[in-house]
Amino acid sequence: MSKIIGAVEIGTSHAKVLIGEVGENKRLSIVGMASRSNEGMRKGEIIDFRSVATCVHSAIEEAEKMSGTTIDSIYLAQTGTHLKGMVLRGSANVSSADRRVKPEDLQRAADEARRRQPPEGRSYVHHVRMPILLDGNPVEDPVGSIGQKVELIYWSIDGENKAIQKNLDVASSYSLDIDDLILSSVASSTLVAGPDLRRAGTLVIDLGAGVTDLALYRQGNLAYTGVISVGGDHVTGDLSMGLRILEPYAEELKLEYGKALPDEADSGEEVWIIGNKTIGDRKVTRKAITDIIHVRIVELFEIISKELGDLIDPNEMGGGVILTGGGSKLPGIEVVASKVLGVPVRKGVFPVGISPDIAHPENASVLGLLHYALEDHTLPGTPRKESSLLGKIGGLLGM
Amino acid sequence: MSQENFLDMCPSLHQGNEICNIRAKIIGVGGAGVSLIDGLRFDNFDAVDNLAMDVDLRTLSDSLASEKLSFGRRHTRGMGTGGEYALARRAIEEEKDLLRKQLDGVDLVFLLAGLGGGTGGGVAPVVARIARESGALVFAFTPMPFSWEKSRHAQAEECLKDLRKHANAVVPLPNDSLLQMGGKDATALECFAEASRNVSRGISAICQLVFQKGMIDVDFVHLNRAFNHRAGRTLFGYGSGQGQDALREALRELMLCPMLHLPDVSKAADTLVIFINGGAGMGMSALNSIAEEIRKEFKAGENVVFGAHIDENMGDGVDITVLGATDLGPISGSADIAPSSGQEILQATTPVKSSHPSRLSSSKPKKTKTSKPPKQAKANKADPQALSQNTFDFMEDQNQRGIFDNLPDRNLYDGEDLDVPAYLRRGVKISV
Repeated sequence: MSKIIGAVEIGTSHAKVLIGEVGENKRLSIVGMASRSNEGMRKGEIIDFRSVATCVHSAIEEAEKMSGTTIDSIYLAQTGTHLKGMVLRGSANVSSADRRVKPEDLQRAADEARRRQPPEGRSYVHHVRMPILLDGNPVEDPVGSIGQKVELIYWSIDGENKAIQKNLDVASSYSLDIDDLILSSVASSTLVAGPDLRRAGTLVIDLGAGVTDLALYRQGNLAYTGVISVGGDHVTGDLSMGLRILEPYAEELKLEYGKALPDEADSGEEVWIIGNKTIGDRKVTRKAITDIIHVRIVELFEIISKELGDLIDPNEMGGGVILTGGGSKLPGIEVVASKVLGVPVRKGVFPVGISPDIAHPENASVLGLLHYALEDHTLPGTPRKESSLLGKIGGLLGM
Repeated sequence: MSQENFLDMCPSLHQGNEICNIRAKIIGVGGAGVSLIDGLRFDNFDAVDNLAMDVDLRTLSDSLASEKLSFGRRHTRGMGTGGEYALARRAIEEEKDLLRKQLDGVDLVFLLAGLGGGTGGGVAPVVARIARESGALVFAFTPMPFSWEKSRHAQAEECLKDLRKHANAVVPLPNDSLLQMGGKDATALECFAEASRNVSRGISAICQLVFQKGMIDVDFVHLNRAFNHRAGRTLFGYGSGQGQDALREALRELMLCPMLHLPDVSKAADTLVIFINGGAGMGMSALNSIAEEIRKEFKAGENVVFGAHIDENMGDGVDITVLGATDLGPISGSADIAPSSGQEILQATTPVKSSHPSRLSSSKPKKTKTSKPPKQAKANKADPQALSQNTFDFMEDQNQRGIFDNLPDRNLYDGEDLDVPAYLRRGVKISV
């Protein structure tokens, strides 16, 4: 029997929907996809609900039509600077007489970890489980092993209710349930940083239109997540102001001629702004375009460097830095990033088997959602519950 | 500092004085304001006085201004405020009467003050308030500190908010943008001179509008009607052209004017003054069509004040200057001195058809703070009512940051607004 799963990313430039079909052998095939340009968001947050809802709904409709099926529930990506991550810990003594760990012990430890409430007006969005410790030693699955104490560690992300609620409302106004909320950077990492890289230590930077999402892995586990409210739209805005042109033209120039690194060769070269030689069209130098982009990109990586501080440790980052998201397509961006961060940086590569139609860096997080959904994130020994999330967001939805 | 001769820019200002009995005063407050005034050099006019104000006696004694007002000696013993604007404000509040006397009978005030400084930032809003109370129309030109001067920058933003409550129009001149003004290899000094030229250009355009007899004539009443609001944001720009296609060239340069492409500058205008100064060759129909194009560019409605002057000395040259405002609201300290016939005069001399119902009538200045919310500049398709409400709440904070317009919060990181282009904040010169 196959299962249908839906993934939705409400991004600042595009809303994206993927419908995947998981076969019995756990093979995922993508049967429906749609991408719609989104006007109602700035910097990862919804400013015009109606416009965003219309955009997302029409994308879902299109993907459903393409797949010939309908979806009832979705995995929804979350981003925005309101999200904050922190470590939560919980432990439990092994209760049985024979000292063998039972699933109930793990559940008690999990409950304790999550008992800590986020501040007023905020809710948890995503608990990413880190290794389980049995008497202080990391183990994959302690159920059945002998020990005294189990300890659970989560990287937990909480966010502002208002912002989260808007995202949920977009889904619920199309009568969709939420399977899970997943941090965008975690979704992207699932795709571009496999288990080996995460063990070696890797920083994944997803350069979106509105925001830049960060996820740092050390020894296989999340050590940091963050969102910087600078994205590709800032580059477009800078070009628009610096070259004194309208934003749509600035966006086109960015895609066509944008480069992160100044190049002596193009100092004299000029390009047309509109290109069809209409009245009002004029030429700008490629140097002006590159200069404007370069200073913004340098600043972005300087902010990332400042945010992460000591966490950027070449000895703990064997996997280096991986760039993904639409912004990673900017030529030369990995060179600038490497110069600023002082560690090797490369552009992300997708696992083989993803259709070339969608294997683009800007699709990293929506594709990552599906792949994340395939992985089992429940506690060992507990059956995978479809509605486990309801507890998490029930309060928000008023259930 | 520039030694631009103001006389060169408005050659017939002398004779203009006889046309009306409007009095204008240019007031420089604090170190930056006083040095801007000296850069203008226009102390030869009867109708335009200049006044330098500071707590720092040394600044005043060096100034060329014809009138000087020192204050706050009790607080600072004749020295500066050390950037403390609360101190300067306390000092001027105590000597308000002196200031009132200076502003008596003045109809038009140009206020020049660097808002990053203690004196400029603290005193400028008080001067604007008192000038408004005594019935003057107040235009302020305010240099803003560089982004990297973090604490000064934050203070300047506070003062700007305050000043906008009282002045009719405030044109911020961010130091960040200085670099974009001068030529390719301009020195720092040349860039500052350019900033000073911007100010004199703005003042001279308004003065010519008010004082000179023009080809398309506008008087003080028009100006007063157009700006008798609190302007949340302003736009100010200019362009020059030469030769056969001078008007069109000037329009092209106007649209590329760096002053119009700054984060704090509005892209649309609810009220707009267009002033064109050119040689005898300027044709009426060409003028009209250019004015119409400018009106469209700035999405200005019917509230356009259009003045054009012939200046034989210009030859085949043309200068266009625009000053506009948006996010209009009721201004504090009332002074509705426009006569009731103003609207008719405006329509008679404005070449632009008024196809929209009068928008300004709905947001006419009221004396209470509880008057209607101001109209929203750009009609938003989403939910106009909610948005206009929003805009009112956040009006002080709201600034145009290009693509990030309409977001209430500044994107602050380490004291810098990340939505402001990085090249501006980092001082990278972009040649267009």
